[in-house]
Amino acid sequence: MVKNRDLKPQDIGRPGEQLTKLGKLMELPAPYDDPDMEPPLTEPKDSWKEKHCASLDGYIGIDTLTRPQTKKEEEEFVKKFLSGLEKIFSDETNRNFIQPLLLSFEYCAKCNTCSEACHVYQASGKNEIYRPIFRSEVLRKIAKKYFTKSGKILGRFVGADINVNWETIARLGELAYRCNLCRRCAQTCPLGLDNALLAREIRKIFSQEMGIAPKPLHEKGTMLQLKTGSTTGITKPALLDMIEFIEEEIEEKTGKKIKIPIDKKGADILLVHNAGEFMSWPENPAAFAILFEEAGLDWTLSSEMMGYDNVNYGIWYDDLQAKKIALQQFKVAKDLGVNRIVIGECGHAHKAAAVSMDRIVTGEDNIPRESFLPILWDLVKTKKLKLDPSKNNFPVTLHDPCNVVRMMGVVQPQRNILKAICPQFREMTPHGVHNYCCGGGSGFAIMNYMNFPEFRNKVSSRMKFKQILDAFQDTVKDPGIPKYVCAPCSNCKGTMRDLLEYYGATEKFNIHYGGLVELTVNALVDIKNPFLEFLQE
Amino acid sequence: MLLLVFMYISLFAFIILSLSKAMKYAKMPMHSRWELYPVPKEKGRGEYGGSYYEEVKWWEKPRETSLAGEIKEMLKEMLFIKNLFINQRPLWWLSYALHLGIYLLALWTVLLFIGAITEIAGLPMVTETGVNKHWWAALIYYCTLFTGSIGTILAAVGAGGLFLKRVFNETLKKYTTPQEYFNLLFIFTVLVTGLIVWSSDPAFNYGRDIMKRLLTFSAIQADTALTVHIVLLGLLLIYIPLSKMSHYVGKYFTFHKVLWDNDPNLPGSEVENKVKEAGRFKPSKSWSAPHCKTGETNSQ
Ligand code: SF4
Ligand code: SF4
Repeated sequence: MVKNRDLKPQDIGRPGEQLTKLGKLMELPAPYDDPDMEPPLTEPKDSWKEKHCASLDGYIGIDTLTRPQTKKEEEEFVKKFLSGLEKIFSDETNRNFIQPLLLSFEYCAKCNTCSEACHVYQASGKNEIYRPIFRSEVLRKIAKKYFTKSGKILGRFVGADINVNWETIARLGELAYRCNLCRRCAQTCPLGLDNALLAREIRKIFSQEMGIAPKPLHEKGTMLQLKTGSTTGITKPALLDMIEFIEEEIEEKTGKKIKIPIDKKGADILLVHNAGEFMSWPENPAAFAILFEEAGLDWTLSSEMMGYDNVNYGIWYDDLQAKKIALQQFKVAKDLGVNRIVIGECGHAHKAAAVSMDRIVTGEDNIPRESFLPILWDLVKTKKLKLDPSKNNFPVTLHDPCNVVRMMGVVQPQRNILKAICPQFREMTPHGVHNYCCGGGSGFAIMNYMNFPEFRNKVSSRMKFKQILDAFQDTVKDPGIPKYVCAPCSNCKGTMRDLLEYYGATEKFNIHYGGLVELTVNALVDIKNPFLEFLQE
Repeated sequence: MLLLVFMYISLFAFIILSLSKAMKYAKMPMHSRWELYPVPKEKGRGEYGGSYYEEVKWWEKPRETSLAGEIKEMLKEMLFIKNLFINQRPLWWLSYALHLGIYLLALWTVLLFIGAITEIAGLPMVTETGVNKHWWAALIYYCTLFTGSIGTILAAVGAGGLFLKRVFNETLKKYTTPQEYFNLLFIFTVLVTGLIVWSSDPAFNYGRDIMKRLLTFSAIQADTALTVHIVLLGLLLIYIPLSKMSHYVGKYFTFHKVLWDNDPNLPGSEVENKVKEAGRFKPSKSWSAPHCKTGETNSQ
């Protein structure tokens, strides 16, 4: 095995076992500065290696990528990849991204500025293969070799020096799933180029041409959503049951009798949640209901197919799936006759519905979409909610979900709210549009099979964990003081849950995570008992 | 005469090829929104990275943009390569020397042009007794001298330095293609030949003379050094827009047309018209995975 730092893009096709292995990772601050404080790295199982592509770094991101059994299968695989590669460069087949793609493809100055910005690269202890331009350069070299005149004539001179076979392509596909698509790298690029976009285009080739994508994203993600209405597979009766349960919970916890409005025609607001909330964090939809009712908003939830799950996993890997889902989600709102769609605590739903999909509908189909954050701030600012900040008198820090902040520009409302309701609020460093991804971005949060969670907890979430510990340095070692990471995004919460558990941070140091609405409800003057569970004993 | 014609051709090629590259990007179909904050044109919010999405019912409010904010950011990037300065200081020194040198040389070319016109109009830069005492002639003369000399030296140090840095820095080396070394060497060589020519004519009278001849269509008198310099410079001018060095075109699009393009699709807007138009596009090819059916390629 070549030393991590000596690897170069051409090595992607290097025959033999595993290209690289995680070595010394970025150090964590106290109390995790002792290596014994974290679980050790593990080896991939032989059966995984035989079946999948574990030959990149020993982790398996694409569970549906399996080794070919025959020479013919391998040839077919290579052929499909190349035809997909050709398609991303054609304005016939890749209209929506051809311009940004070509720009990022053509102009890289190899200045390496982006590497400093990438949390995956930094957290890995600067392992060469996670350098943002490593992956981009592999893609460039292959595309040049097979599809450009200069590459065919001048070869190595212009960098066209990678041949493809199964191993090479599979490793590149895996590598596209070692990037959170957080686009922090693009923020620092002097030429405005976007390595995340290139990673996404590789995923697109795999999905749209080769039919290969992680199961939780595709089969149990967008496909399931298109079939049943939700990636959770919750059916309408199940949803209605859950809502009833939430109403009971609200009454039990707060004494408030609330009837959650469902399918209310002509309501002002259609509130859409990540359906994962109903299953994993029902206190979140509950908190929304309490706040919206308290403020007297005219709102409703939808129980229609595609109306109760705002997720759109397509934006991570497949344009066609993204569009299919978005169109149906828009339709639900139109049929209900609402004035606007308000997106709850789900980051990628923010980006998908409000930004990415802004250019697919026109006229009456184009129902305005907005984030819940400005509304919530408005309710706090205008004192429509009676709040007592002393109820939230414990250290609180804020995680900025990339999709809400860096990709949509909603930065201030959440901080304004926290400053108003949490006396011990402190920022992470860096924060706002320069934040780091939680490490669960682009689907990682839901890719929970084989050893992929280990990569997430150890590497892609490591920088976030460091930031959390840094933000709480004053009290972190005192388990008597509860600490709260406010992560107003379902995906980020999933990552936090796993992260805090993996490092035993809740158990050992009383660090908790949760949304913003729960904190807000916790501060409501007329609620006697704490709404946040960890304050309840 | 041949040299003169070649100079015309190379200048013309530089402009036409750069423009055609810009046209290629400008004509591409409208892309999905893929902006990245901070977007400096967001009035009052650009500084911290906010956008109109921070407003309740943003679509009912007037869209406030700030051209000044955008221009300020653009100038910071163009004049100082701000992103590199903040994020990659060691490389910035050399890269900035190269770019500042090129900017000065561009200014120098303009000054040569002005000087040539001034001389054609009857006001020589240099008289029997030395530099013309006339304030205008003197101003142009000394500015030309300054921009030309400092520009060439800075650019040469930058190009040569970057070349060496790439050769000796292990990381940069891995990602640098032979062509990229060649590009730097090419620029460096042109600058060195320029320095050689300059050494025998420190006042850049030759440059003004060439300008005059370009303006009056008369044959250029050149010795070997000058001929080599002109030929190489001409070739470089033709090559730049064909290569990655045309990032002056790319950068406009990456920032203005992608990262800072957050115009919403509002009823009656130009964006809406484009979306409607895009909806009419029927691709003749499509993707092959089982879940991708024909006709759905125009995805977002
Ligand atoms: S910062 Fe931009 S130009 Fe520099 S290496 Fe990264 S992608 Fe390339
Ligand atoms: S998008 Fe994020 S994770 Fe991916 S390369 Fe860029 S900085 Fe790294």
